[in-house]
Amino acid sequence: MSKSTLTAVILLVTILQAHAQIGVMKLVGKNTSNYSMGFGGFVKTGFPVSDGSDLTFELGADIFFLNDGYGTADGTIMCPLKAGYRYTLDGSGEGFYVEPQAGFNLVGITSLHDVNGQQVNLHYHGVVFAAGGGYLFNWWNAPFDLNLRYETVIDHGGSNNFISLGISRFIRFGKRSAGY
Amino acid sequence: MKWYLLAGALTLFSSCLKQSIPDAMLGSKNSGGQNGGGLTATLSYTLNGNAVNISVPNADGQNPNYYTLGCTKSTGYNLDGISNSGEITFTFYTDSLTLGRYTYTGIYGEMYFLTYNGQSEYVYAATDSMSFTVTSYQHGHISGTFSGRLTPLVSAGNPTNTYGAVGSISISHGSFQNVPVFY
Repeated sequence: MSKSTLTAVILLVTILQAHAQIGVMKLVGKNTSNYSMGFGGFVKTGFPVSDGSDLTFELGADIFFLNDGYGTADGTIMCPLKAGYRYTLDGSGEGFYVEPQAGFNLVGITSLHDVNGQQVNLHYHGVVFAAGGGYLFNWWNAPFDLNLRYETVIDHGGSNNFISLGISRFIRFGKRSAGY
Repeated sequence: MKWYLLAGALTLFSSCLKQSIPDAMLGSKNSGGQNGGGLTATLSYTLNGNAVNISVPNADGQNPNYYTLGCTKSTGYNLDGISNSGEITFTFYTDSLTLGRYTYTGIYGEMYFLTYNGQSEYVYAATDSMSFTVTSYQHGHISGTFSGRLTPLVSAGNPTNTYGAVGSISISHGSFQNVPVFY
């Protein structure tokens, strides 16, 4: 078994057992070209509020490594806690959906080297907004959520923006009257 | 559906902020005080009681290759200043300049450090030395103090120079402020 296959299996098992979400993401915007593709882990839950809608809560951790030529582990870590309203387009509670989210970045740290070559650790928090959509489906009788979203964290007069593609095994509390 | 469009628009609008959070935080740090190119760099000392002063307004605006007072990173960090009476130079032998004391003594060999009214002063004897202490290094500018005891060069020769009274040049009350570091 190759290393990549083993990694994929471990990640899948992790998703199934921890009900967690994994995602790949890319920082976008000014001065982000030196950041490599990021990745993150999430835990997402939801409470049905109607046949086609859920109130969702998501806690995540995103990490982006910075290739700034110093050969160290420079980069950015953010831990957003968000609430969202997920609305399935056909009102069935499954299939395609849209989901705006808002929340707060619990922890934000960017480590980099400044113009003097000195190591700098910048700590921040900030409000979080996200807009995206996805597709809800069942696989082996487990609910999964494949999603794509645009997210921004705002603090100190700047913003960290990224696009994220993720998949999760969704945790739902409460019962919907029909279907998914 | 209007609600979702509004949320999407809000997200996109908020991302229109022109800089990332790290850039904004670093920019905020760098905008404090007199930064932004308007800093005045100074260097002063006394040589056997005679004052030497260098002051360069808007020091960041100097040509990095031809400056009156500045520090250039090469194999080490070379601080150079030019005054009406001559010049002074000091090399911080380090790959990464940090706060602390940097000393050059005669045991390392002869080394030129300054010229005053046409006379060159060297670290020559084992008891000679020149010390620079960096007390601040922020936003590309260094500040600190220095002192030394040098020996005057009487005549340059090949292969050996001729020196005057050993340790007869006293450098005291040395100070440098806001000296830009050019890369």
